Amino acid sequence: MTQTTPESTGTAPAPQGTLFLDGEAHAFQPGETILEVARRAGKTIPTLCHDPRLEPAGACRTCLVEIEGMRRLMPSCAMPATEGARVTLESARIDRHRKSLLGLYLTDHPEAETVAARRRPNLLLDMAERYEAPTDWPKMAPLRASRSGDTNPYIDFDAAACILCARCTRYCDEVESVSAISLAERAAQTTIATADSRSLLDTTCEMCGGCIDTCPTGAMAEKRPITLGAKHEQELTKVRTTCNFCGVGCQLDLNIDPEADAGRGRIVKVTSPPVGTTTNDGNLCVKGRFAYEFVHHNERLTEPLVRDEQGQLVPATWEEALARIAEGFGRVKERHGADSLAFVSSSRCTVEENYLVQKIARASMGTNNVHQCAAT
Amino acid sequence: MQPPSPPADDRSEMPHEVQTAGGLRPGVSAEVARRTGVPEAHVYGTSSFFHLLADPDTKVRVCTGLSCQLAGSHELLAQAQASGLPAKGCSCLAACDAPPAVLRDRRVLTEVTPADVEAAAGDWRRLVAAHAPDEASERRWRGHVGPERSEEQPLAMDLLAEPDFTGAAFAQAGAWGVERLVEELKASGLQGRGGAGFPAHIKWNAVSNEAETTRYVVLNADEGEPGTFKDREVLLRRPDLVVEGLAIAAQAIGAQDIYLYLRGEFELPWRTIEAAIATFQGNGHGTDLRFHLHAGHGAYICGEETALLEALEGKRGMPRLKPPFPTQVGLWGKPTLIHNVETIACVPAIVRHGGAWFRDLGRTEPGTKLYCISGHVVRPGTYELPLGVTLDELVAAAGGYVGELKAFSPGGASSGFLPAEQRDLPLDYGNLAKAGSMLGSAGLVVLNQDANLRDAALEQLRFFSAESCGQCAPCRIGTRFLEEAVERRKRQGVGPEALDQVAEIAWQMNEGSICGLGQAAPLPLTSALQYFPEDFAEDAAR
Repeated sequence: MTQTTPESTGTAPAPQGTLFLDGEAHAFQPGETILEVARRAGKTIPTLCHDPRLEPAGACRTCLVEIEGMRRLMPSCAMPATEGARVTLESARIDRHRKSLLGLYLTDHPEAETVAARRRPNLLLDMAERYEAPTDWPKMAPLRASRSGDTNPYIDFDAAACILCARCTRYCDEVESVSAISLAERAAQTTIATADSRSLLDTTCEMCGGCIDTCPTGAMAEKRPITLGAKHEQELTKVRTTCNFCGVGCQLDLNIDPEADAGRGRIVKVTSPPVGTTTNDGNLCVKGRFAYEFVHHNERLTEPLVRDEQGQLVPATWEEALARIAEGFGRVKERHGADSLAFVSSSRCTVEENYLVQKIARASMGTNNVHQCAAT
Repeated sequence: MQPPSPPADDRSEMPHEVQTAGGLRPGVSAEVARRTGVPEAHVYGTSSFFHLLADPDTKVRVCTGLSCQLAGSHELLAQAQASGLPAKGCSCLAACDAPPAVLRDRRVLTEVTPADVEAAAGDWRRLVAAHAPDEASERRWRGHVGPERSEEQPLAMDLLAEPDFTGAAFAQAGAWGVERLVEELKASGLQGRGGAGFPAHIKWNAVSNEAETTRYVVLNADEGEPGTFKDREVLLRRPDLVVEGLAIAAQAIGAQDIYLYLRGEFELPWRTIEAAIATFQGNGHGTDLRFHLHAGHGAYICGEETALLEALEGKRGMPRLKPPFPTQVGLWGKPTLIHNVETIACVPAIVRHGGAWFRDLGRTEPGTKLYCISGHVVRPGTYELPLGVTLDELVAAAGGYVGELKAFSPGGASSGFLPAEQRDLPLDYGNLAKAGSMLGSAGLVVLNQDANLRDAALEQLRFFSAESCGQCAPCRIGTRFLEEAVERRKRQGVGPEALDQVAEIAWQMNEGSICGLGQAAPLPLTSALQYFPEDFAEDAAR
């Protein structure tokens, strides 16, 4: 990688500034928000509507801080760090604010047992417990409409568990540019909707499931683990792996129920690694997130098969199978010439694997007829 | 290179397209998405935000604002529904001076009687207000205004005077230039008349000093604060002042495009302002300026300036975070000068007579002010009086009290209630703020001895919970919580514990809400509890 120096590009390095968090000086880079500076400094500021991939919304109000000279509490997620700003992250006022805000959220949120059925983490309930929010305020039945008739196979929306942080709709707009869902209605009826409340299958939705990944309360959740009665995500074992559907190399977490299938374990769902930790930044596509059922499919090939003299497929060793292929290819080349052969590699191959495919084609078979199925 | 402005993905016409297509019925989102290029989910999400688009089959909306309710609007609504009219209740229609008001499609009918509803016989097209004199429909919605201008009492807006399209103030302002103009505005002490009372000259100065040269002027004519109807009166009677004020503003800050956002129910004011623009420019004034009229579609929150900008851009009317303020990042991200109708209407007089003259019109604070008064008074209407008059003086202009004063709401629903003992407070920004209330839009509602403040507060809470944009939890959940708490308290056998959380949730709403709606929404309840605890007792009138 080449290093660009400020001299070589002609731009001066952006000056860094200093602000004060609870009295301590902290350096910041231009463009950083107070939240970013604070988190980098190891401070805890609660957030629900924040996702580093999205423009700040300042809507959930959990991250409010005091800034000297400003009368109102301000959202740290949206406030740019400014030179010399004196920010208070912990005070009696902020503590009271968090408690009463979270208490208010709880009046409009289902009980813990109900949200557990979503099988997803619920940051709101965790946060309410951490900040000792009042839990005895009268509950109100949510007025938000779900899409009960949505027969799509993957994404389930339970409006009752929704806190309207709009991470899902902003993700759909800002990261995916798909805009299949939107905030709809208003006041207590505000909800997440598709146009005319149609099934996601009848919208621009690409089933990437990013709405599930970003949802802080499990209002958006994977449908199959719910309908199949799988264990809660907390009880599953996460195994980090590389998606093998294409060569991009997205990292994903297989969520495995270790006790299922007589102790052999079973993949229950796929989740995104935390944002900012992998090259795909938590983003996945429909295949990576939802197409894992082949792993446990009863027709899945788990060993090489070759045809016997009757033409029936029978198990074989890799050596036998590869020898059969080499023999067949060699016969074709001998009879019809090398250019009668062509090689097409799978889009599931990595760059290195594609390299090897063309090496077989060119070096051992002697043809340039080689292609990759994801190329257009 | 500067991005084109409005930008290439301008979607400001989208809500209008939905209206033209007959409102949000199945398939309309897809059709409008095809026509405008706006994603279908956004068409749906935005249209469902605005009542007039979301619910096209409700053709009759009966105002449930406090003044209309005092005039029997709840009974009228029940009668309308029983008669088969497609009717629902709605938020304040800015016709508190001629209650009860009914919206038929997008036309406001005033002083609608049970006989009118009966005569319609279930057909909304036949619903008319029989009292309306048979003259030009524009005149029908004019209410009482006063007083007459006199030597002793000069007026800045003078609603009874004939419109003046000479463009003299516009020419004078052009000769002055922006610096002198801002100086005069500063000298005038003009405060924003929409409710916040922010000094006008600071905004003009801020926009003028922005590096970005594409700038906009926006008129906030989304008058919806319950109890307020002064902007309607200005638009109907003196649209010349509004057009000239806007032209002066645009010329001063170097804007070419002026956007006028009128609430969707202002069908008649729309016509007067449209005609006034044509006359003004027809006389050769400001012919290089472009006036753009935009109709709202039924959402109180769009009177909040940043929600208005969002709505103007064709989005859901959800307030933005401030800072940045519209003077820096406004319409389509450009510096924007946004003013209420009345604020803009004061500008021509300030230019003609000078800032000092305007300042001296006021008593405790600068200028005259349009006070709207309704409820239990003889002649509800709009009265231009020196800023800082007392309630008794204002009510004297309105013909006196009906019954005995019990309480009053000094500045719309957002200002809460004050008891009769505070009748001597100067009705201005500073004194009312000190009293824990606000002048707001100066939409005063007077309640007499027959009123129950628990019920009055409940009406205001219903209004706020229906009009919350839903963006932030303190307001979305808090307004509903308070409404339900008072409803619980009203139930037989429920004690004061029903209101146990009110103080803490009111505190939270004030601290935590993004915009003024949520911050102010608890005030009707907390002030009613403070001054009229006896109205919340078990045996209070139900």
